[in-house]
Amino acid sequence: MADEQKPGGSQAPPPEGGAAPKAPAKPPPDAAAKAAPKPAAAAHAAPPKPPATMAATPWDGDLARELKERFGDGIAQTSTYLGQNFIVAKPDAAIPVLEYLKLEADFDYLVDITAVDWPKRPERFDLVYIVYSFSRNERVRIKTYIADGFQPETAVGVHLTANWLEREVFDMFGIEFAGHPDMRRILLPEEWQGYPLRKENSILLQDQRWVQENLGIESGQ
Amino acid sequence: MLGKLLKKIFLADLFQGLWVTFRNQNPKYIYTEQYPAERPKVAERYRGAPRLNINPDNGETLCISCNLCALACPEALIVVTSQRNETTKRKELTTFTYDTSRCMFCGLCEDACPVDALELTQDFEMATYTREGQIWDRQMLEEGPEPTQYKC
Amino acid sequence: MPDSTFLDSTELVLNMGPQHPSTHGVLRVILKLDGEKVLGTECIIGYLHRGVEKIAENRTYAQFNPYVDRMDYVAAVSNGLGYCLAVEKLLNVEAPPRAQAVRVILTELNRIASHLLWLGTHALDIGAITPVFYCFREREEALKIFEKYCGARLTTHAFRIGGLLYETYDGFEQDVRDFCDMFLPKVDEYEELLTNNRIWVGRLKNVGVLNAEECKEYGVTGPVLRAAGVKWDIRKAQPYSGYEKYEFEIPTAQNGDTYDRYIVRMQEMRQSVRIMRQAVAAIPEGPIMGKVGKVIKPAVGEAYVSIEAPKGELGYYIVSDGSTQPYRCRVRPPSFVNLQALDRMIRGGLIADVVAVIGTLDIVLGEVDR
Repeated sequence: MADEQKPGGSQAPPPEGGAAPKAPAKPPPDAAAKAAPKPAAAAHAAPPKPPATMAATPWDGDLARELKERFGDGIAQTSTYLGQNFIVAKPDAAIPVLEYLKLEADFDYLVDITAVDWPKRPERFDLVYIVYSFSRNERVRIKTYIADGFQPETAVGVHLTANWLEREVFDMFGIEFAGHPDMRRILLPEEWQGYPLRKENSILLQDQRWVQENLGIESGQ
Repeated sequence: MLGKLLKKIFLADLFQGLWVTFRNQNPKYIYTEQYPAERPKVAERYRGAPRLNINPDNGETLCISCNLCALACPEALIVVTSQRNETTKRKELTTFTYDTSRCMFCGLCEDACPVDALELTQDFEMATYTREGQIWDRQMLEEGPEPTQYKC
Repeated sequence: MPDSTFLDSTELVLNMGPQHPSTHGVLRVILKLDGEKVLGTECIIGYLHRGVEKIAENRTYAQFNPYVDRMDYVAAVSNGLGYCLAVEKLLNVEAPPRAQAVRVILTELNRIASHLLWLGTHALDIGAITPVFYCFREREEALKIFEKYCGARLTTHAFRIGGLLYETYDGFEQDVRDFCDMFLPKVDEYEELLTNNRIWVGRLKNVGVLNAEECKEYGVTGPVLRAAGVKWDIRKAQPYSGYEKYEFEIPTAQNGDTYDRYIVRMQEMRQSVRIMRQAVAAIPEGPIMGKVGKVIKPAVGEAYVSIEAPKGELGYYIVSDGSTQPYRCRVRPPSFVNLQALDRMIRGGLIADVVAVIGTLDIVLGEVDR
């Protein structure tokens, strides 16, 4: 179902990918299916294709309806992809949704907090919370889109796990959480400048000044 | 009740543990491998030192310079250069550089090679005295590392 | 003489530095002590941070597979399983039944190897020097099977996306059966050494208590959660890779102290042997690789897949933008989240218990820092 999506702007087809040392006897269905629409598009001298998006379908379960009733505008969309449900909430509604899920819907275990950087969007960060309910055996993702510089509210008041998880998001992306008891870097040294997982930073990014001052060498590369 | 008290006074649980230790003192249970006198027999699929195989019939290299191993490597540490042979219209391998200092011995290059020219052998003794010595050229890859064997 | 010097205060700040034999890696713990009693701790991590998530964005899916083993380097096969399952979910393929059965066998063998290393090092930290030799002797047998199967003992790179690369070698089933038969008496031997030993019980009972409520608040999973009484295991709750076919129990305990975690992990080793016996008795015939193209290019989308690693819930959240490289590969490490609870567990304890509690959490710094 998701296979018709033609990834816009992706790089050249298969010859580039020698990097798949697979065992013999596997037909390449993906490559064939994707090669088929190409000649058709080229023949039309088609207008630029819109960038492919996730083929998510709307999610209509009980929980989705309860959340929409309770939060109305705060929930932008409830969808499901590959059987995994997620909701997109407005930034201000994220923590109230987490609180509601914990107290009313029994989602008492915060699995993860992470972020994804989409630099071309005005709201460049996707802040993702994943929660799980022991009693319902269900996992739900809550995504919010926030802009650079926006300080989302901390989830520490709702789940204690959020302490280190948010510190890591701050460390890697530079998203500060308002109200966090201890907002400082966790994996990188305290005085490090730069946020590695942002897309503008290449994999060779290093804080040269820190390396020279603290390690006494010219560069870590 | 009395049983428990006696066990407590006479350290029964500690002796139970000591008995396990004494039982294992039998020399037939010694598990240590006396390296380097006994070399370990590694498995057939062991991912050790890389080797460029040579065709046994005519002594030429099996490598066809397709560069698939270099593309497969996550660390991009293989460099293959070749030149085109005008008579046979095929590529001939000139140099093949493999940097074992960055290699993680994952085996992706071995899996990618279509003609089984590049293989990860069972050699694991690849120590050198310099960093540069870890970058293997074609000759080193074809002969393999030859560590000094110490015999007792 | 100044009015008050540091000798007057009763608090001592002690650094249990990154180089320490008992911190299971490069972990720095700053302890605030009142004599021998611990008033508070602070963990400083990041000494083993290698930027694995950034590396993932610059490698293709198949090329990233070897890097995943190096996070929890003690139980590399589980990491590989989680990653392969996550990418397979994105691709919407499933590994064929034979591949699933062999994956289960190797993953359970890996769980035993990880728990053996845990037991050996934990006992060594507490002061019992013998178990470490016995545990490593058994671990050697498990690692031999890994070596014969995929060529490496520690960083195995055993699974591929879509299934397996290597067919099982001749004698694989016999080796696994021999291991199972050999191993259960050895578990009894470890229990003889430790379980009723008064020194062991005295060091471990009522140390580092974390009850069920606190576990859930801190997001702690794995044997720590099960020792607190919560009967939850992802292999039963959301089975993957064919685990629903096998019968096994989830060991739990009541108090949530260090001794209970020891009991839970010993029982888990026995249950792993049970699963392995069932799996090896019925490995189906068939292909070992699913329908995956030469180039792995999932559709645009994202997926979160988690497995029950020996240390807890190991999750992979992969975002794909339709290209051959993951756009974002987030690893949710169980050790990172479990380590947060260290402060709560150790407050009010003695300094000697800090070592016991760090050991019982079963952290691997490669996973904490990535």
